[in-house]
Amino acid sequence: MIPVTVLTGFLGAGKTTLLNRILTEQHGRKLAVIENEFGEVGVDHQLVISGEEELFEMNNGCICCSVRGDLIRILGRLLKRKDKLDGILIETTGLANPAPVAQTFFTDEEMKAAYRLDAIVTVVDAKHVLTHLDAGDESVKQIAFADVILLNKTDLVSPAELAGLEERIRRINAVARIHRTQNAGVPLDRVLDVGGFNLERAAELDPKFLEPDYPFEWAGVYSLPAGDHELVIGHEGVEHDHGHDHGHEHHHHHGNENELDVALLPVSPATPAHRAALQTDEPSSPSPFAAQETEALRAFSGPEMKLRPGDPCRPGPGLLRLLLEQGNGRYPLRVDQAGLYGVFEGCGEEPLHILVNGQPVKPGWQRDYHHTHSHDDAVASVGIQQAGQLDPQKLNAWISELLRTQGGDIYRMKGVLDVKGKDQRLVFQGVHMLFDARFDRDWAPGPRMNTLVFIGKNLDRAKLTEAFQACLT
Amino acid sequence: MNLTKHWAGQLGDYAIDLAWSPDGALLAAASAAGPIVLFAAADGARRHELPGHESGANALAWSPEGAPALASGGQDGAVKFWDGATGQHTATAALGAGWVEHLAWGPALAAACGRKLALLGPDGAIRHALPDAPKTFTALAWRPSAPLLAAAYFGGVRLLEAGTGALKKEFPYNNGIQALVWSPEGRWLVSGNQDPSVHLWIPDEEMELQMSGYETKVKHLAFDRSGRWLATGGGRDACVWDCAGAGPEGRAPAMFPHDAPVCALAFQHRHGLLATAADDGTVMLWSPDRRQPLRATVKMTQPPTKLAWSPDDGQLALGSAQGAVYVLKCENG
Repeated sequence: MIPVTVLTGFLGAGKTTLLNRILTEQHGRKLAVIENEFGEVGVDHQLVISGEEELFEMNNGCICCSVRGDLIRILGRLLKRKDKLDGILIETTGLANPAPVAQTFFTDEEMKAAYRLDAIVTVVDAKHVLTHLDAGDESVKQIAFADVILLNKTDLVSPAELAGLEERIRRINAVARIHRTQNAGVPLDRVLDVGGFNLERAAELDPKFLEPDYPFEWAGVYSLPAGDHELVIGHEGVEHDHGHDHGHEHHHHHGNENELDVALLPVSPATPAHRAALQTDEPSSPSPFAAQETEALRAFSGPEMKLRPGDPCRPGPGLLRLLLEQGNGRYPLRVDQAGLYGVFEGCGEEPLHILVNGQPVKPGWQRDYHHTHSHDDAVASVGIQQAGQLDPQKLNAWISELLRTQGGDIYRMKGVLDVKGKDQRLVFQGVHMLFDARFDRDWAPGPRMNTLVFIGKNLDRAKLTEAFQACLT
Repeated sequence: MNLTKHWAGQLGDYAIDLAWSPDGALLAAASAAGPIVLFAAADGARRHELPGHESGANALAWSPEGAPALASGGQDGAVKFWDGATGQHTATAALGAGWVEHLAWGPALAAACGRKLALLGPDGAIRHALPDAPKTFTALAWRPSAPLLAAAYFGGVRLLEAGTGALKKEFPYNNGIQALVWSPEGRWLVSGNQDPSVHLWIPDEEMELQMSGYETKVKHLAFDRSGRWLATGGGRDACVWDCAGAGPEGRAPAMFPHDAPVCALAFQHRHGLLATAADDGTVMLWSPDRRQPLRATVKMTQPPTKLAWSPDDGQLALGSAQGAVYVLKCENG
């Protein structure tokens, strides 16, 4: 099958630069390039065809069922050759939603039989993409759909901005391969015929992305002596640089600005591993405080106890809702037994301090969690990685129902699955309501692992995981 | 029934279209790469090699009357006219930036180029530039013995008058159309669709039917000379509908099976044989009227790209993806 690369990216991101490199570099492949109607490249020795975006709405105008009629026609014609092409490159317009292009390869039998959607490559302008992302326009979709992302023009931003940008992109799409580039300078084998849909990197998935979306944004573990201490929210009367103080300038609060949800949980019993985790800044996976995280998850979904400034509190199960006065509040904290205590904070932007004898104590271990949970419309990724054999009927029923009800919100879905009674891996990929599943090669000897990734909006990790588990035999 | 090899010829690339001259003396064969060869029907001699279209050829059509004149459509957005006797290039009509993928020569030469449609004279002059369609034109068919052109695009089929270019009627169809055919007496107009289905209209009676259940989009359609049998592709069977009387609704079609997806169909012009070809290279001949319809089977080394009966029905031309052109003799016996 002929691999197809779809090139997306906003105007000025560097798409044309990449296209020109592909057309002029000696890579030994005979390619056909289908440029968008505003394309401006033209080179003799490769086949360049000017396409005109022609959407075929197959089902009452539903975008999930729209395909590119012009591609069906052009790609059909490109099969009529004595010598088959080595690859197809489709350039989309800057504002295009990549879904209909991808869907074209799932709906039409002729396309399915002859072509393989290899990868959606999105070129991102490191300097300007945040503006687009904040505006919530098609650039979010272009990142969500991508298998490969070229973070281009890295010379125009600082290393810190770049790291922040990459983190932001990761939150939308946890599985794309990200390459940092200047002038779209990337070895072409990272862009062409990369097998991007095949989820070969399943084992390398960012472990963070396989975890639940925690309802809290920050946690710190403190070693506290027994006694009467103080929990302080806000900057008032506290020397800086000791507590948890992000100092972010844009303070985006979720919900009521004068309420902060906090869980204070004892780490009990504290093991040597816990104490060791307090001595190092190295992040480790799985989290050494996973049990407390799970307990905090429960606390945050249970009833809360409201505390006014001055009201006393103690570590223990349950959620505390601190009522603040202009962002500040001081609460006497009674600790009966010396030990390790985890503090989980609903909004990670609030400065939080624990004062022992009037002096702020530093947490020995701390962690920031994903900040996306409270934006229901945010595009994010959910990954499920679990061993076990799947019942094909249950799996089919679940996926069909899921796509029927939530296909509009699911931009991409990919999976490598272990189906009962099969020696081959079931590899599948989907775009909105359409998907393609096939058994490819045999599993390698040794333990098998199911990997499933969803990228989209309104994804409920717990529900998806539960439904997946119900398909296990 | 016997199918025997008569002669074979070569093109440089994929045989994208084949067309017999109306007198049956020449077979024009277009290569997808662009050149066109005129073969002598009698022995396969290469009479003329035409340069065709530099960026690729798509379609061929002979003028139905007068001196042998051939039209070709290419990816250069042009229709070129050739003198069949001398091989001379006689005219070019530039239609636009799109590909000229569809030609149909009836009272005028209809040529579609992207969303544009034009009626041309044999001298290459544009007689009528018809209104653009909202989407690319995907099929053209003249109503037999009537000056009426059917032109399909995503969204419907237009009926246009040859003399004035006026839009006479528009049948909406909200899906992609891959092929169009009229029954020989002009009663039925049929489209093969992306969805996948076959849609039938009787334009004079304001009646329409939809036949679905195909495996894949329906790219191939053919009517027999009597107007009764409609052969359709769209899967591993050639599916033949009985269009007599009120049409195929409620009637089970005859299924002529192949082991691979059907890739071409053609009915004879004056006799009743249907030739079908599949992706595994099998070519079969059928008589839909018979209780045992299969008449002959030939296995080619490659799947045919096109099937074309000579005007006298005695020869069947086939093209291949590797650029071969075969002409088979069809003899009773």
